[in-house]
Amino acid sequence: MLQSIVHVCLAGLSIGMFIWLVASGLTLIFGVLKVLNFAHGTFYMLGAYLCYWILGRMGENFWLGLIIGPLVVCAVGFVIERFFLRHVYHLALPYQLLLTFAFVLIFDDAVKILWGAGSLGSPSVPGLSGSISILGRNFPTYSLFIIAVGPFVAIAMWAFLEKTWWGKIIRASSSDRDMAAALGARVPALFTAVFVIGTWLGALGGGLAVPYVGLLTPGMGEAIIIDAFVVAVIGGLGSLKGAFFGALIIGLLSSFGTRFIPTFDMFLTFILMAAVLLWRPQGFFGEAK
Amino acid sequence: MEKRGITRREFVKAGLLTAAAASLGAGVFKPTGLWAATPTIKGPIKLGYQAIMSGALAGYGEFHKMGVQMAVDELNADKGIAGAKVEVEFRDSTLKADEAIKNARYFVDSWGADFLGGIDSSGQALALAPVMAELDRILMVTHAATEKLTEQQVFKNGIKQVFRICTPTYQDGNAAAFVAKDLPAKTWATISPKYEYGYTCWNMFKETLGKLKKDASFTAESWAPFGTTDFRPHINTIMDAAPDGLYSTEWAGELITLVKQANQAGLFQKIKHVMFPVGAAMDALEGLGQEMPENIWISGRYFFLYPADNKNRAWVAAFKSRWNHFPAYVSETGYSTLFALKKAIEATGSKDTAKVIQALEGMEIDTPAGKRVFRKEDHQAMYDVPWGLTKTDAAYPFKVMGKQVMVRAKECFNRPPFEGAGTKPPF
Repeated sequence: MLQSIVHVCLAGLSIGMFIWLVASGLTLIFGVLKVLNFAHGTFYMLGAYLCYWILGRMGENFWLGLIIGPLVVCAVGFVIERFFLRHVYHLALPYQLLLTFAFVLIFDDAVKILWGAGSLGSPSVPGLSGSISILGRNFPTYSLFIIAVGPFVAIAMWAFLEKTWWGKIIRASSSDRDMAAALGARVPALFTAVFVIGTWLGALGGGLAVPYVGLLTPGMGEAIIIDAFVVAVIGGLGSLKGAFFGALIIGLLSSFGTRFIPTFDMFLTFILMAAVLLWRPQGFFGEAK
Repeated sequence: MEKRGITRREFVKAGLLTAAAASLGAGVFKPTGLWAATPTIKGPIKLGYQAIMSGALAGYGEFHKMGVQMAVDELNADKGIAGAKVEVEFRDSTLKADEAIKNARYFVDSWGADFLGGIDSSGQALALAPVMAELDRILMVTHAATEKLTEQQVFKNGIKQVFRICTPTYQDGNAAAFVAKDLPAKTWATISPKYEYGYTCWNMFKETLGKLKKDASFTAESWAPFGTTDFRPHINTIMDAAPDGLYSTEWAGELITLVKQANQAGLFQKIKHVMFPVGAAMDALEGLGQEMPENIWISGRYFFLYPADNKNRAWVAAFKSRWNHFPAYVSETGYSTLFALKKAIEATGSKDTAKVIQALEGMEIDTPAGKRVFRKEDHQAMYDVPWGLTKTDAAYPFKVMGKQVMVRAKECFNRPPFEGAGTKPPF
């Protein structure tokens, strides 16, 4: 029983950390730009496909793919923000959703043209494809790695936003755009930078998913974006701390639910979300408006 | 140089024979074989074909298309169907029932389809059946597997417009039980899709194996929702139960993910008897490559190396050279759909729905998958697909079936009237 609980816990942690990696970029972009970026799942998908592609070209070097892939996606994010999204900031939310959703469709089809509509099985990563025995049952090394990467990204983002000069400017622009601009912050450039960082996080999540899910499909971004949205809502839209703990809760809930109350496991997440929306609509760590 | 058309001598021979046949009168002597005069039908014969072409399963749509397109080109390069050109239009079914109905209405009302084909999901097939009765067009289902389509909609509710050319859940549930009864495994568990298809197959497997092997017991079930990317909690459930055998109707991408994650968790070392009813699908075999373990029981709706006869070999070779892929089972069912329609239309000399239904009922046809017979009562195509153990073959970059076991369709498919004694295997 102990063996089972420990393993269910570990599986839950790795699921949660995965959702966090995707939700972090989404939350960052919403927190600062106030844009609900539907195309975030697309960045995840592009990150995965590019990482996979580089993995095939560069002599099976996964780490190289993980560095280069997300950087290429950053360029895509830059173009989207600089030339498209910027023009709809002053419009109502539905316009932003429509525009970002258009990019979802465009890139889904682009991926189909470039890599085919079928699913691609990805090779395992040398060095991380094995598993280690924990209490007599194997647990994949790569999942442990994901469990470690999650908090690392969280701490790095926290340090960047709270402890650096850049972070201060970003926080200032996010709380009052006009005042920050009046005080000399180059808000448009800053927004572009934040969008690109958010894009990078989404693409990194996609790259890390390659050996984790073991499969690439043209619609892969849409599935994860729903989890990321749920996490962002539970934690409080725009709150990185909220997204982190929200992801942990959802990960553990789905893992324990599947193991111990399988009949209701699909509802647990949504019951939690409904409860949060009813009693604490701003989310666990969101600021009340 | 290739000679086009027929030589004068052949022309004369054909003319004499036809004249001889005609002089004997239609009622006395029916021309058959090479010299039979194919009835000619006016206008193109239009097939509206829908399959999943977006989202995670879009690859299936591509494979449907390859098979159908190949058949259309082959037919049109020859004489079409009964002298009429064949036209096909593809639409994305999106796996949603209302979209399937919308497509069907568009095909018939706006595009003027004579026949419909395709359909991947059981839910879509069940919802579409009454619409086919209303539109009065034949729908040839090429992928959706629920037995309720043929047992209830066709047999019980009398919707004669629906036919199915692929194997139904009997192959996944009943045939699997016949294979499992001879394995040294008493306790069984499942990780399967958390929807109709997954539940139906597992129940069928349990019921049939329970009858075939009295001491079999079923110890754990873990149901994975559509779109699961992390099977570790499910794998934990199964490993806690520690059964002798694992049965899973996960398919497509989710099967690939399941196998990879089960490999990492060491599941295949602990559980020796594993059965994947849809494991012989090309997307799963190619997607897993060498990561598919050895000695796993797999099957499908068609496997490209079976039957090992010339017709199938030639078809697989033609498919490979045209598309640079091995045919998926939906390619075979899509391809054979057109030839089944051709045979029925030419037999009856008309594309009229009622007449073609009559011609299809009980019709026998040779296809790449072997001989198929459309059962008269429920319109289910009866044909045999093997179960086999995975093994490495140097000729392919993926695992293929090594040792094969054949459970004949007539032994494992439920029989009409589908209720009461003697309708479910074993017979």
